[in-house]
Amino acid sequence: MLKRDHTLSLSTQARAPGFRVELRGTTFRLIASGAWTVTEATKLDAALKRLRVPIPPTPEFTGEMDIAAIAEIDTAGAWLLQRTAAAWEGGGLRTRYAGVTESFRILIEEVERRGSAERPKLAQTGSVQQLVEDVTKALTGVWSDAIQLTSFLGEVTAGIGRMVVQPWRFRPKSFVHHLDHAGLRAVPIIALICFLIGAVVMQQGVVQLKPFGAEPFAVNMVAILALREVGILLTAIMVAGRSGSAFTAEIGSMKMREEIDAMRTLGIDPMDTLVLPRVLALIVALPLLTFLGDITGLIGGGVMAMAVLGLDVSTYIDKLHEAVDMQHFMAGMIKAPFAALIIGLVGCLEGLKVEGSAESLGTHVTSAVVKAIFLVIILDAVFAMFLSGIGV
Amino acid sequence: MTFENGREVLIRVRGLAKSFGGYQIWDGLNLDVYRGEILAIVGGSGQGKSVLLRVITGLVKPDMGEVELFGHNAKTLTAKDRVDIESRWGILFQDGALFSSLTVLQNIQVPMREHLELPQAMMDDLAFLKLAMVGLPPEAAHKYPSELSGGMRKRAGLARALALDPEIVFLDEPTAGLDPIGASDFDHLIHKLQQTLGLTVYMVTHDLDTIFTVCERVAVLADKRIVRTGSPIELQRHPNHPWIEEYFCGERARAAQSGEQPRRLVV
Repeated sequence: MLKRDHTLSLSTQARAPGFRVELRGTTFRLIASGAWTVTEATKLDAALKRLRVPIPPTPEFTGEMDIAAIAEIDTAGAWLLQRTAAAWEGGGLRTRYAGVTESFRILIEEVERRGSAERPKLAQTGSVQQLVEDVTKALTGVWSDAIQLTSFLGEVTAGIGRMVVQPWRFRPKSFVHHLDHAGLRAVPIIALICFLIGAVVMQQGVVQLKPFGAEPFAVNMVAILALREVGILLTAIMVAGRSGSAFTAEIGSMKMREEIDAMRTLGIDPMDTLVLPRVLALIVALPLLTFLGDITGLIGGGVMAMAVLGLDVSTYIDKLHEAVDMQHFMAGMIKAPFAALIIGLVGCLEGLKVEGSAESLGTHVTSAVVKAIFLVIILDAVFAMFLSGIGV
Repeated sequence: MTFENGREVLIRVRGLAKSFGGYQIWDGLNLDVYRGEILAIVGGSGQGKSVLLRVITGLVKPDMGEVELFGHNAKTLTAKDRVDIESRWGILFQDGALFSSLTVLQNIQVPMREHLELPQAMMDDLAFLKLAMVGLPPEAAHKYPSELSGGMRKRAGLARALALDPEIVFLDEPTAGLDPIGASDFDHLIHKLQQTLGLTVYMVTHDLDTIFTVCERVAVLADKRIVRTGSPIELQRHPNHPWIEEYFCGERARAAQSGEQPRRLVV
């Protein structure tokens, strides 16, 4: 904000901005006064818009912006004056300024020069076109994701192959570290969740089956459900949320800080050092966690069965033996390494796709979790069809 | 309004003390910022240059001492006065600190939306004007911060700082991370804007070129306080302090100053 006189503190009345237009001789004069600043701009803008552009009766008529009574001005005020002057010029009235101090002149000239730049038109797309575009983008996105994931699976398989032939490529330290983080540290949360879900399913089963007098069969239901579906699904979803996202965040932030490029230039293969230890650790950890989930699910169901059905421990175990056999257990367990592979692949791939910014990291972490959970559920459905097809 | 030596004091800092984790960074720091000047704060790393900026702008609370903003004591400000004062300053953070989810144009309009009720058409016009004034092409308006280079982000950040035509702008290392040409352009821009808008500029900097080309006054932070203030030439001729001597009379300073005559800005 520029002031005409810095030593002057303006009273509220003197600050009130305003203007009037008069015709003196052959000159239309806009006499402006007060503080023409951004805080007053809304009022001034409305008033100036109501002002009609004077039409010169003969060409010798001129315009004048008399700003001698303006005490304070800033870019917004200068822009309003300039807009009015430009409109007058457009109406065929040659317009000049009067009562301008040196500092006001610099500002007004700058605003005049800068304000006239061409503006880019924001590309306007119709809503239907936008919809079609979005759908196309989403569909091609799914397709390219599928291709990327498949080729990454190929790379990882080749990497594992190389590792078998050249065992010194294996990084035991890194493998154990990830086994600890993705496996051991997930034990409490997975145990707790499976225990609770086992108990809840048992309680609901008893309530629903009671009208048919079939409540003892709730044990069969919980046992089959825990071993075949709940154990593996809950564990895989938890691991996708815990470790899949962590993989993406770790690899992604390394990618962001160019650490991965640095590794490559030092002759270190990120596949060996970053991807394989994570994927292999998950393939080992997830079946173990699934086993834990199965058992705690059964324990949760058992505790609830004792409470609502009045069974004792040995009866519950006998009933379990009647309800399930090794087949049910294996039907759940067989899915674990595949789910681990999916979570590991998606997590690492999304991490490697991160670009320079923190937003990109956030987007990829989210999409890693969403994609991993989605694919795990698809995998589960495919296995369900396959296993029932072969009669297991 | 407070006057000292015939100049209006916009910001007055008295007896500031602050310690972090048992380490005292200042003890009795005094500083005046006068209207219309370009003031550079220099000092070795760890002297709390950026922290001082944060204390003045109210982001960090000092342990002791007074900060007076536009004649109001910062401690006793009401919430409303605080908002008024916030619309009278603009701050350019080191990397621009633009909101990443908004386009450059929307970023510039954030302070306008927050403090004023302007019609959208006018906000667009003013934002494009500010964009041109900081030397960005109009095409940059609809880009997101992530699509801009570091230098452009700083310019966009400056445009946002200038959105409400503040009386004072705080610049935190405005030329850090820019190439020499970009840095020199930015120096010229700051000088030009200061002339055009009658700004007061408070900048934290390390850049000797910036100091010698645009700064009228330099305040040196050392020994837990502002040890000296004065024009760059004055400090160079009579350092009277080992750190100032090393800084202003070292090889880099001589190089920066030898180019001074032809590059001195004339408006």
